[in-house]
Amino acid sequence: MATAAEGATRAAIHTDGLTKYYGRNRGIEDVDLDVREGEVFGFLGPNGAGKTTTIRTLLDEIRPTAGTATILGLDTHRNAVEVRRHIGYIPGDLALYPNLTGRDTLTYFANMRGGVDWSHVDALAERLASDLSRKVGDLSTGNRQKVGIIQAFMNRPDLLIMDEPTAGLDPLVQREFQTMLREVTAEGCTVFLSSHTLSEVQRVADRVGIIRDGYLITVESVAELRSKAMRRVEFVLDSDADASVFKSVAGVRNVVASGAHVEMSFDGDMGDLLKAATDRYAIEDIRTSETDLEEIFLTYYHTGEEAG
Amino acid sequence: MALSSISLKVARDRWRGWAISAASLTLLLLFGMASYREVDLSVYTELPEAWRSLMGIGDDVDVGGLAISYVFGSFGALVVAVMALVMGSAAIAGEERNGTMNVLLANPRSRTHVLLSKALALVLLTALAVAAIWITVHPMAALLSVEIGGLDVEALALHLYVNAVFYGMLALAIGAATGNRDTATGAASGILVLSFFAVGLLPLIEGLEDLRKAFPWYYFDGSEPVYNGIAWGHLAVLVTASVALLAAAVIGFNRRDLRSQSVGTSLLDRVRSNPYLNRMIGRLAGSARVSSIWVKTVSDYQTLLLVTSAAMFLIMGVLLGPMYASLPEEARAAFHDFPEELIALFGGGELGTPEGWYTLETFGLMAPLSVILVTAIMGAGALAGEESRRTMALLLSNPISRSRIVLEKAATMVLFGIAVGVATFAGVSLGSVLGGLGMSIGNIAATSALQVLVGLVFGALALALGAGLGRTSVAVFGAAGAALAFHLLTSLTAINDGLAGIAWLSPFHYYLGSDPLNTGMDWGNAAVLVMLSVVLFGLSLVLFRRRDLRQRG
Repeated sequence: MATAAEGATRAAIHTDGLTKYYGRNRGIEDVDLDVREGEVFGFLGPNGAGKTTTIRTLLDEIRPTAGTATILGLDTHRNAVEVRRHIGYIPGDLALYPNLTGRDTLTYFANMRGGVDWSHVDALAERLASDLSRKVGDLSTGNRQKVGIIQAFMNRPDLLIMDEPTAGLDPLVQREFQTMLREVTAEGCTVFLSSHTLSEVQRVADRVGIIRDGYLITVESVAELRSKAMRRVEFVLDSDADASVFKSVAGVRNVVASGAHVEMSFDGDMGDLLKAATDRYAIEDIRTSETDLEEIFLTYYHTGEEAG
Repeated sequence: MALSSISLKVARDRWRGWAISAASLTLLLLFGMASYREVDLSVYTELPEAWRSLMGIGDDVDVGGLAISYVFGSFGALVVAVMALVMGSAAIAGEERNGTMNVLLANPRSRTHVLLSKALALVLLTALAVAAIWITVHPMAALLSVEIGGLDVEALALHLYVNAVFYGMLALAIGAATGNRDTATGAASGILVLSFFAVGLLPLIEGLEDLRKAFPWYYFDGSEPVYNGIAWGHLAVLVTASVALLAAAVIGFNRRDLRSQSVGTSLLDRVRSNPYLNRMIGRLAGSARVSSIWVKTVSDYQTLLLVTSAAMFLIMGVLLGPMYASLPEEARAAFHDFPEELIALFGGGELGTPEGWYTLETFGLMAPLSVILVTAIMGAGALAGEESRRTMALLLSNPISRSRIVLEKAATMVLFGIAVGVATFAGVSLGSVLGGLGMSIGNIAATSALQVLVGLVFGALALALGAGLGRTSVAVFGAAGAALAFHLLTSLTAINDGLAGIAWLSPFHYYLGSDPLNTGMDWGNAAVLVMLSVVLFGLSLVLFRRRDLRQRG
């Protein structure tokens, strides 16, 4: 695809002061977003934050009150048809034609794009264990979602826009879906994935944008977010723990000692902490857990609330 | 049983539809009385009895009686019965189709309780609507100084009410037993329409009068309650039948498996499920019905088109030819004496002729109605339908413009309108040949062409309303309401000279205004109708391209 090659120098998605009001109600306000080509961009926010509004604006389902958006350098409104040649899309709250079979549904959409590689479709269906011969209306929510996913992947798009795509999928299929995401990004596809399931984004995304109440609060790489993250560290020691031993280590907070058991929050150098511990005690057991994006997310959410 | 929350919810969901129907009927009555007041009534007294019975006019004709007969006796009774029928089919089968029945039944209420609550709501809401119409009759007559003292309005209202409840229960029972709303609506309205026409037409044929007692509509107005008072025996038949239907609904609903969101099986599906035929079809056309937007639209509405076209071809076309030929000589002779005003009412022409017969029976109302039915449903479904079912989002994620979606769907709608017209044309032509009526095939073709054109105006209106507002119900009711209002305007302008000045406002004026069955094609009228449609199609394009899509149904 020629346009995809040209797009290598452009942002996959770029929005400039994108704003959408529904009457007086704010959908999104002044969203500046840059999604680089080839990355998986996670778009996080609680329900009603403006994720779907942003996506629907990108798809030209609704028109911005102010601001502009481009996809692969093409204006999302003026070049809407051309834009859609390059994207695969799963809307949030996916609805399909209940009286068509999965295969009919895919045929219908494939014909609008001038055909599809059916061996690719069959491979996708097999990976997701999707029965395409059944009518969509007879499928469970998860199985219907699979048809939606195949539909989005089948044309080997340059950009996948997905609004909470794993809704209703069982964990095994979710894992397969994540593998599929990694594969297409390895081939150069950009993925824009909205979610409120943070673990999902954490597993696949390179960067994350957090949106709340219509405002894009921050965009950071997942690694960056993680590096900010506190760990929880727990030791079981050979004798009663003295909290002050740990408090003196840089990065340790909230030490709670109880008998031979001590736990703390920690974001410093793990070597220092271990040295301080082993200088004084023998360690019988150690457990650390990474705080996940959930907690970071809540932090941002909370901060935003205080600011607002 | 106290009025349960289920009944109240039904009332909350439905009261608007009922209020609109009741208000429209009241307005119609007002308009009707005002118009009939200026008509020379000798027109009606000279009619042969059979004709008066078909038109629902009693022996002692007066202004009030005519208006009430026209508005209530046939038209109003149909509207109220259809409203009850729609409510009945939505009660159980509708909730199943929407996928809300399982949530409802997860509550500690038995199926019987749910069904009876819904039935109760139907009975009460219908009563309220009929009462609302009835209450206005007397003050309105006083206002217009129309004498209705000799008429038993109360008897008519009661008959009309019991009749409507019967069709509501019929649809409820079919829906409760099958869980399929389309089956319920289709079968019940089929019975409604069939029995309405049977009761009107059978008395015209010697020896067959008594057959009409087999049709439920007979027990509504067979006794002419507006003149003769309440016929308790007839009411008892309807009430007994309603209770029996309700009992059948309870039994049927309790015995079967609930459907999850139901998916109908079309004729084509059955054909495809046969492996041999499927292979043949596959070889012929691939997955033909999803090969493009317009082909899918064709397959979505195949049943609607098939049923409507078949009805127009067989009943309104073929059947009526031999039927006219078999009319007794005196009846046909009487047609020649029909007063001019009355002839005008039915679109002009000589009523004693086959052309007049077909104008009255087929082309006057049913022919445009059939095209409007098909095209308005398609027009509303085209954009607003996909939007409220939320499939528009995915459709529009494909590299096709909004304009192309509008154009492909509009083109299919035009195609279907033409198909109904062709079926009507073929049916009437064949009826003319079979009955030896010798009508001009060219004129039939011209009339059918105009029938398609006038129907398409309202189909395009539905499309434009759906394109602009994204709501299916607004599109359907808007187009149907406009069609009804304009048809009434055209009927009334034909008999009331005071209104002749505004006749040109109605699209129907350009349909039968030139008496095409006798005089052939009027290209000027055709051009007006084409232009109207083109403007509305253009409006749909503009409106749909500019608008934010709705997110939820």
